[in-house]
Amino acid sequence: MVKYIGKRIVYMFITLILIATASFFLMQTLPGSPIASYNKLNDTQKAIVEKKYGIDKPKPVQYAIYMKNLAKGDLGTSFVFKGKSVNDLLAKRLKPSLILGAQAMVFGTIVGILLGMLAALKHNTFWDYGSTFLAILGISIPSFVFASLLQYWIASEWHLLPVGLWNDGWKSSVLPSLALAMGPLALSARFIRTEMIEVLNSDYIVLAKAKGANGFEIAFKHAFRNALIPLITVLGPLAAGLVTGSLVVEQIFAIPGIGEQFVSSIMTNDHATIMGTTLMFSAFLIVVIFIVDILYGVIDPRIRVSGGKG
Amino acid sequence: MKSNKWLLLMALTLVLSMFLAACGGSKDEDKPAADGDDKDKDAATEEPEEKQHAKDEEGEPDAEQVLHLAESAAIPSVDSSIVEDAVGFNVLNNINEGLYRLNQENIAEPAMAAEEAEVSEDGLTYTFKLRDAMWADETPVTADDFVYAWQRAIDPATGSPYGPFMMSGVVENATAISEEKMEVSELGVKAIDEKTFEVKLERPVPYFLSLMSFGTFYPLKEEFVASKGDAFATNSDNLLSNGPFVLTKWDGTGDSWTYVKNENYWDAENVKLTEINVNVVKDSATAIKLYQDGKLDRAGVSGDLAMQYRDDEEAVIQPETSVFYFKFNQERDGKETPLANENIRKAIAKSFEKEDMVDVVLANGSLAANFLVPTNFAFDENEKDFRELSGNHLEYNVEEAQDHWKKGLEELGVESLDLEILGGDTELSKKMDEYFKSQLEGNLEGLSISLKEVPFSVRLDLDGNQDYDIQVSGWGPDFQDPISFLDLFVTDGTNNLMSYSNPEYDKLIEDSKGELALKPEERYEAFAKAEKILLDEDAAIAPIYQRGLIFLHKPHFKGLVDHPFGADYSFKWAYMSGK
Amino acid sequence: MRNENEQEKLTPEDFERVTIDAHHSERIEKPSLSFWQDAWLGLRKNKAAIVSMVVLLLVILMALIGPHLNGHAGDTQNLRHANLPPKIPGIEATGFFDGDGKLAGKKVDLYEMKKVDEYYWFGTDGLGRDLFTRLWEGTRVSLFIAFVAAAIDMVIGVAYGGISGYFGGRTDDIMQRIVEILIGIPTLIVVILMIMIMDPGITAIIVAITITGWIGMSRIVRAQTLKYKSQEFVLASRTLGAKDGKIITKHLLPNMLGIIIINTMFTIPNAIFFEAFLSFIGIGLQPPAASLGTLINDGYKVMENQPYVLLFPAIVISVLMIAFNLIGDGLRDALDPKMKD
Repeated sequence: MVKYIGKRIVYMFITLILIATASFFLMQTLPGSPIASYNKLNDTQKAIVEKKYGIDKPKPVQYAIYMKNLAKGDLGTSFVFKGKSVNDLLAKRLKPSLILGAQAMVFGTIVGILLGMLAALKHNTFWDYGSTFLAILGISIPSFVFASLLQYWIASEWHLLPVGLWNDGWKSSVLPSLALAMGPLALSARFIRTEMIEVLNSDYIVLAKAKGANGFEIAFKHAFRNALIPLITVLGPLAAGLVTGSLVVEQIFAIPGIGEQFVSSIMTNDHATIMGTTLMFSAFLIVVIFIVDILYGVIDPRIRVSGGKG
Repeated sequence: MKSNKWLLLMALTLVLSMFLAACGGSKDEDKPAADGDDKDKDAATEEPEEKQHAKDEEGEPDAEQVLHLAESAAIPSVDSSIVEDAVGFNVLNNINEGLYRLNQENIAEPAMAAEEAEVSEDGLTYTFKLRDAMWADETPVTADDFVYAWQRAIDPATGSPYGPFMMSGVVENATAISEEKMEVSELGVKAIDEKTFEVKLERPVPYFLSLMSFGTFYPLKEEFVASKGDAFATNSDNLLSNGPFVLTKWDGTGDSWTYVKNENYWDAENVKLTEINVNVVKDSATAIKLYQDGKLDRAGVSGDLAMQYRDDEEAVIQPETSVFYFKFNQERDGKETPLANENIRKAIAKSFEKEDMVDVVLANGSLAANFLVPTNFAFDENEKDFRELSGNHLEYNVEEAQDHWKKGLEELGVESLDLEILGGDTELSKKMDEYFKSQLEGNLEGLSISLKEVPFSVRLDLDGNQDYDIQVSGWGPDFQDPISFLDLFVTDGTNNLMSYSNPEYDKLIEDSKGELALKPEERYEAFAKAEKILLDEDAAIAPIYQRGLIFLHKPHFKGLVDHPFGADYSFKWAYMSGK
Repeated sequence: MRNENEQEKLTPEDFERVTIDAHHSERIEKPSLSFWQDAWLGLRKNKAAIVSMVVLLLVILMALIGPHLNGHAGDTQNLRHANLPPKIPGIEATGFFDGDGKLAGKKVDLYEMKKVDEYYWFGTDGLGRDLFTRLWEGTRVSLFIAFVAAAIDMVIGVAYGGISGYFGGRTDDIMQRIVEILIGIPTLIVVILMIMIMDPGITAIIVAITITGWIGMSRIVRAQTLKYKSQEFVLASRTLGAKDGKIITKHLLPNMLGIIIINTMFTIPNAIFFEAFLSFIGIGLQPPAASLGTLINDGYKVMENQPYVLLFPAIVISVLMIAFNLIGDGLRDALDPKMKD
């Protein structure tokens, strides 16, 4: 196990380096100069500015410098926010997104799992249809429509929570988190339901029942644990996606988060920031996937984490 | 299995009711207002009356002078040499001050300068006497601060987008310095003594004083800038203000910042606001909800929302001086495009209805444009609008358009054309492009239009490489003179980028800068002639509209001044009354 | 249960002596059914799924014929008829669909005001285009994108995940590293690149959706393969000498079919929404083409004052979603060998 984890960590670094390389060269294919004011500068200025940002050098040299700085944890300097380091930029924008993402994830999965279990245990009853319907509604309404409905009713009409902005403590985070939670909620409810129904019908549960295990014990000890495997496969990437994917919700609630920053850096061709954000998301995602793979082993001992044909 | 059917029914009803709730609820609210409908119907069918600006009304200032505003983007930079975007110039205009400032009537009046500048007979030397003004750190603003700032802006090493752009061909030696052919110290600026600043020009520039209110020409205290090094202007601690307000709580990249009154400002007694809180809100619908919730005192209304709010009691239409037009690219990939044909250009320019477009598609107070130089922008000696002098060009006329079209196709020897319209990717530009497509295809037989909608940065790139057929482009002036627009289309001009060239046009523009520079009347005539050549004769571009914007503006927020060029707003005279 | 017969009074005459015949014991009483016949038999019993299929077929039918029903073309602009609320002949007297709309917060009959005699069943948009026609045109485009994207995702995802999970070892390692790199690059970047390299449009969107979309499926298939391949029945089969191909088609795939189908049923609405999402951040379908996504986005912006613009596409999308989910459920019940009653 220790050897496996060590090997995976080495792989994770290789993956990151590959992603950094890929994103570096992808940036070069994007149309437009990274220097926003480029067409206002004269040739002399262009030469000087290019030198300042180091984009006058041949691409391989630029790449080497970028990777060297990356090794030191330096993501470079933003082209749009003059003279500001990407590290600073990301650090400041990350916090609201992380808070929203974490709240949405925790709330969404817990409620989703409960709904899914309820539906599975009361298969083909009102509870099943009710929670299934809620889950369908959750995935049927795009998060931005749901977000604006929440904003319109709860904030604008009833004045219960702020309409937007990030300056009202925890209150500011409630509505956006709720809007974001719909995805994980619906997804976990459906997966848990499907899996648990299957598991509940399987032989070993029948055996467990025959041996006199009570419903609660069956639900949690046997069925739930098995149902969790496919859920974790989807939820891992989803968690990472929540932080990136919240950009529309962040825009609706005027929250200075990372998703919103990401889109505007793409729109303004801010290469260093795009690469920095890409790398950060990638690192996050890779770690999540790693954890998921380890969890497989913990949840289902029959899966040998080392893989191998057999 | 009966329940399954009911589940489906329930699902449908719930979804339905959910969305119906949104409209049902709001309908109820409107019932009390349903009386006196007739008047409103008329107002809606006809042109909306020009709204009186709420800010014009008088009123006693309140005890608490705190303003809450939203911006549509974060501040990229407030380094006066580097600033290039609307948000940055706006901040700069309110925390710093140049020799001149646009007053409440939008006329440049002495600010850091104590009195009107002395201009030499030949119009080449300007001498400014500085007022006893202080920086926020209580040191005096001196002529050296101006010399330093101007030299810094022209120094190619600074990489200032506006320094060479504004100074080249205007201030002595600026062009050569920006190309590293001369030392920075040779720029035609001089501190005669601590309070006297002298500028030598390369040629007479009639609009020179209106440049003095532009951010790039603001003073910078060398000692302060040098002591901060690279950190200068990267956050509110590393800024030194000499204007009405001081910037605080700005971390350099954040989505919020605050202005507080600068007690060391020379005219501080006329500054009433003590605090202005600004948050970045990109979504217009959100800004409106915040406004209605009392969290903002003013909110921009954009896109489809404009139609809904333009008749709102608190809506204010703010005319702007940005003009939008089609650029017809005559050469793409080294080959002539069909748009090199004059008749084709004229046909397209005259084939779309502009009035309907501004009323229904834009619905935000924009004006249909049959001109390049906007209305209410440039005035001659007798205060007469340049537009009265120049008249209308390229008006909508389907018959003429179709005649031109037929002729053009014959000349090209083809029966149909496929052209691309390159436009922005905002909601409004997309809607507009769809309208153009339908109008052009409907009126010109055999034309088929494809639309390409890209982010601004990509559009600049395509523009730079002349990789488009027709582009929806726009220009907002940096100073108050028709040349700000007409200079764009001289042969090989930096913003021409469509291979348009007419020696006669070039000559007129050249003359306006040279021999006519000190003859205002003839100069304006030359401009009118140039505009006529550009539009009527050559149809090099096809004007579309002059932009207007709608804002929701709380009645208690008074005294805001919006400027037709340079920075958008001054908060100097703003105050809260009756909140 | 077919062998639940009512108890009757039996007499000895009812009994017949049979002799044990070796041939008979091998005979299969039930008619031989293919996998899909079997599935259909199961599905037929699920009324929700059947109703959903009918609804789905109706929507598809409307997507095909809807644009031609009321004589308005979807791309004809008429600015004088812009922003009209829905009005349907016959039921206008009921108070719904009577052409009343909001203007500056007041309720007025916009048809009367603008002197419009035509009926726009679902109203018009800001350029005066008929929303009924555009709705069905949009539905057609969305369904097309969704089906194609889902099909591509499924094929690539199943193949990739299956191979990776089944063969394991070095193959698995390499394939998973590739997946990790792909999944590690934020989808948006890939999508934007795709749209910049290719001409914007339906193809670009499908490519953009599928380029990373199959990864989810492949991970699930891989996880399932890992789960089943080390289970006892596979081991038994292998011990009995079954080849890889047989194990995959006879043992693994049937076991995974349920989850593959459910995932595909998720992919279809996801594809619809991803397209809507792209439209929202401004890189989706290029106008004047409409899809449910662009229509919802248009409607979302004006939902306070002109809710009908959002209402109809939102209903269609929800109906599609519910239908796909219920059909998915039905199919799952029918296909999963362990869940037969």
